[in-house]
Amino acid sequence: MTMGNRKRLKRESIIQTALQLFSVNGFHKTTIPDIAQKLGMSVGNLYNYFSSKDILAQEIIKYTSEVLGEKIREVNMLDVSAEEKIHKIVEIYFTMAKEKPEMIEYFLRVYLSNREVFSSGCEGMICVSEFITEIMIFFDDAVASGELRNQDFFSAFGLFMGYLGGMVFLKGEGVLPKEIETYIDDISRNIYNALKA
Amino acid sequence: MSAKAKPALLWLQSITCNGNSHSFLNHPDLFSILSHFELVYHPILETGQTIEKMLAGTLPCDVLVLEGSFRQKGLRKNGVEVLEVALQYAHKAEHIITAGTCATFGGIFKQKAPDAISGFCFDEAEQTPRYRQYADKLISLPGCPIHPKWLGYVLMMIADGRQIPLDEMHRPQELYGITVHTGCSRNEYFEWKVDTKGFGLKEGCLFYEQGCQGPYTRGSCNRILWNDISSKTIAGTPCLGCTEPDFPRTTLFETKTRMGIPETMPLGVPRRAYLTATGIAKSFKIKRFEERIITYDR
Amino acid sequence: MTVKKLIEKIEGEAELDFSLKNGSVEDVTINFGFYRGIEEIMISKAPRDALVITPRVCGICNHAHLMAAVQAIEHGYAGTGISVELTDKAKAIRDFTLACELIQNHVKWFYLTILPQLEHLTKEESKENHALKASYLSTTITKALAIFAGQWPHSSYAVPGGVTCDPTYVDVMQAQALVDETVRFFEQVMTGISFDAYEQIDSVAQMHEIKGDIGRLLYLLGHYDMAKRGQSHDRFMVLGETTGFVQGKSIATTIANVDVRYVEEQPQSGTTAKAVTYKKRQYEVGPLARAMVAKDPLIRSMHKRYKDSLLTRIFARMHEVAYLLRICQTLLKGLDLRQDSCTLEGHLLASDFEGIGMVEAARGSLIHKTVVKERCIENYEIIVPTQWNLSHGTQSEKGIAVEAMVGSQSMDEASFIFRAFDVCSVCTTQ
Repeated sequence: MTMGNRKRLKRESIIQTALQLFSVNGFHKTTIPDIAQKLGMSVGNLYNYFSSKDILAQEIIKYTSEVLGEKIREVNMLDVSAEEKIHKIVEIYFTMAKEKPEMIEYFLRVYLSNREVFSSGCEGMICVSEFITEIMIFFDDAVASGELRNQDFFSAFGLFMGYLGGMVFLKGEGVLPKEIETYIDDISRNIYNALKA
Repeated sequence: MSAKAKPALLWLQSITCNGNSHSFLNHPDLFSILSHFELVYHPILETGQTIEKMLAGTLPCDVLVLEGSFRQKGLRKNGVEVLEVALQYAHKAEHIITAGTCATFGGIFKQKAPDAISGFCFDEAEQTPRYRQYADKLISLPGCPIHPKWLGYVLMMIADGRQIPLDEMHRPQELYGITVHTGCSRNEYFEWKVDTKGFGLKEGCLFYEQGCQGPYTRGSCNRILWNDISSKTIAGTPCLGCTEPDFPRTTLFETKTRMGIPETMPLGVPRRAYLTATGIAKSFKIKRFEERIITYDR
Repeated sequence: MTVKKLIEKIEGEAELDFSLKNGSVEDVTINFGFYRGIEEIMISKAPRDALVITPRVCGICNHAHLMAAVQAIEHGYAGTGISVELTDKAKAIRDFTLACELIQNHVKWFYLTILPQLEHLTKEESKENHALKASYLSTTITKALAIFAGQWPHSSYAVPGGVTCDPTYVDVMQAQALVDETVRFFEQVMTGISFDAYEQIDSVAQMHEIKGDIGRLLYLLGHYDMAKRGQSHDRFMVLGETTGFVQGKSIATTIANVDVRYVEEQPQSGTTAKAVTYKKRQYEVGPLARAMVAKDPLIRSMHKRYKDSLLTRIFARMHEVAYLLRICQTLLKGLDLRQDSCTLEGHLLASDFEGIGMVEAARGSLIHKTVVKERCIENYEIIVPTQWNLSHGTQSEKGIAVEAMVGSQSMDEASFIFRAFDVCSVCTTQ
């Protein structure tokens, strides 16, 4: 294993561990020494990877956006209808919420709730640009093919992502009576019906 | 043409508004350029030849300048089909210059009868049956109207005996290898995705709302200025895409978008790359770009 | 005997069928060629697309078409309750650029058509390159225009609510210098006297003071006894609402108000151009009409002696150059850049409206009418100045130019009288 590869894996494991601790103990209560201790590495060494907790927080959101963006990009490449793509995107999001809840929770509870942490270095959409770009491409294709109604980006984006985020939030609060994946079909249909041409 | 004789230049009009002729008359070095040629016939300038003689197809012609779009039949002058006359001279000529979008692609007047009217060698972006016969001497100079300096450049290159590098549609690369966006005075606003707040402001980019086609329209309007002083985009008017084969498009003063995303990307830029760069640039609020450049005593 | 003659070196070409009797012209039929169908092309397009498409009616008076098109939209918007109040600055800029186009047109016509043709006719050929003068003047004054409009020909910089440009005083100073250069040309080349001295001339008696190329024109017309030729119905019309010009009609020397509702278009046989009348009568439009309606002292003085003759008609067009240059100077001097360039938000678009725009183009009153339904143009109508001046006429009276040509001693003379109207075939066959 090369040095570069080892560093990359170490970096990812720090992100994974931090994500877990943030979701269990909360962002503010989790400290760098907590993360280092859990990983069995020295605090000094961890600072070699991320020079501050804020930087770490920003890198995590970029990482999340990349993972999500990569998956939606695969959907965008498929030669299927916009209705099917919506279904697949909802599926990706909810599956992630179930299998890696810390990731989606991080987005909702840390990124959206602690804007001051992200004000310098993560302005606007920089740190989520991969994810946003793929959603834009999905919308653009679907309007070009005549499947979705043309409108302002944010009115469509808010309906789509606000809805999904809301459901994951309810899940996180423990108020959803059923497993989240059981809602995929209905929610996909609702989104499609709301946005279709 | 003997070694010493000047090349014979013949300017022939078909379905046109005369805009290319008038545009070229505004070339500040017009007569210096023309001094390299023997001007055989021109619709406005005196040459000593009459239109009747020109229409008879018997005048000498080394460089043929065509203005206006063409139809197979139905445009007669003095009882002669203009296309027939054009073909006679095209056959003789060593260079054929289609001056303007009408002569090159069909242009505005094509819209009256899209099946019957076209450019001389192109019908919008498609080659006409005439293309094969004249391709080796064809120089396309689209633009509605033609930029005087663009035609001046081509004529001087011919007079100098130089080879003009052309693209696949026979447009000189030195003129059409770049887009109208190149050199636009609003470039900083495009870079940082700051749209103009409305017509009549020197600040802001016209690409996002006002329908500017500059980033995907070929032409050097902002490098070789119009009337030596300005351009549409400098004057706050969107580029209307007048050099392109599909000119004119529709709803020209609005940017066509899909969910807020411009329908047409800057020339050759992949959509994903554009959206990524845009998302990043838009994330910054840069104070200088939100302010007026000049504050007159208000 | 009927003889066909193809007239070139005008805007496009026209075919005249002369009916001759004992060598003199008894009647003329004017035919224009190919119909391009701009009005039809406009149908179902977005209303503001007219600002791009209609200037392409004409390569020499495209700017006037832009102004008529934008005024038609603004008039239509106003009818739906959208307030379209232009700032003084926007109005001044529009009037300035339109005036520049008129100057360009008149001077080009003078040097490219009138002087060379008059020289041919009188066989008084000069060795001068008239075209060089035309090109120099046109290049200079359209540069001033382009400072504001971006380019000439075919600018689309006038939009509902104002203009797209946002000039600085750097721009204004350059425009002023270019106008001054044009004035210098008018003094040194065209008239041989100072601009101030020219403006003092207000009667035929003083016209001998005019030298230069206009002086030569006056000499040739006088010397070859052409001053009183080419008289027509002596009826004039100005419909445009353009700064510096007065709306109204003039019959002989009586001025009255006009109402565009009395303007009628009729198809004519044998030509693609439609005729246009006011209360079924023929009217002349253009610089002579504008000077007559505005009671310009010098043109009125000429008219008193020569009526609506070739001389008065040609001179009125050149006289207007001086008038417009002064307007240009005044407009630029008065520009207040603190005011807004455009007062109407781009998204404020009315979906249904009918509007009419009337401007004074180089050749006379130009009218655009637009009818918009559900944001699409349902009907578009353009009435160009040449339709007034060059129609065949009605049962009861001949068209303006035809009347002027009748009685000519030769076809060449009649052709010259025809060209004195500054013929634009491309406008006529929109």
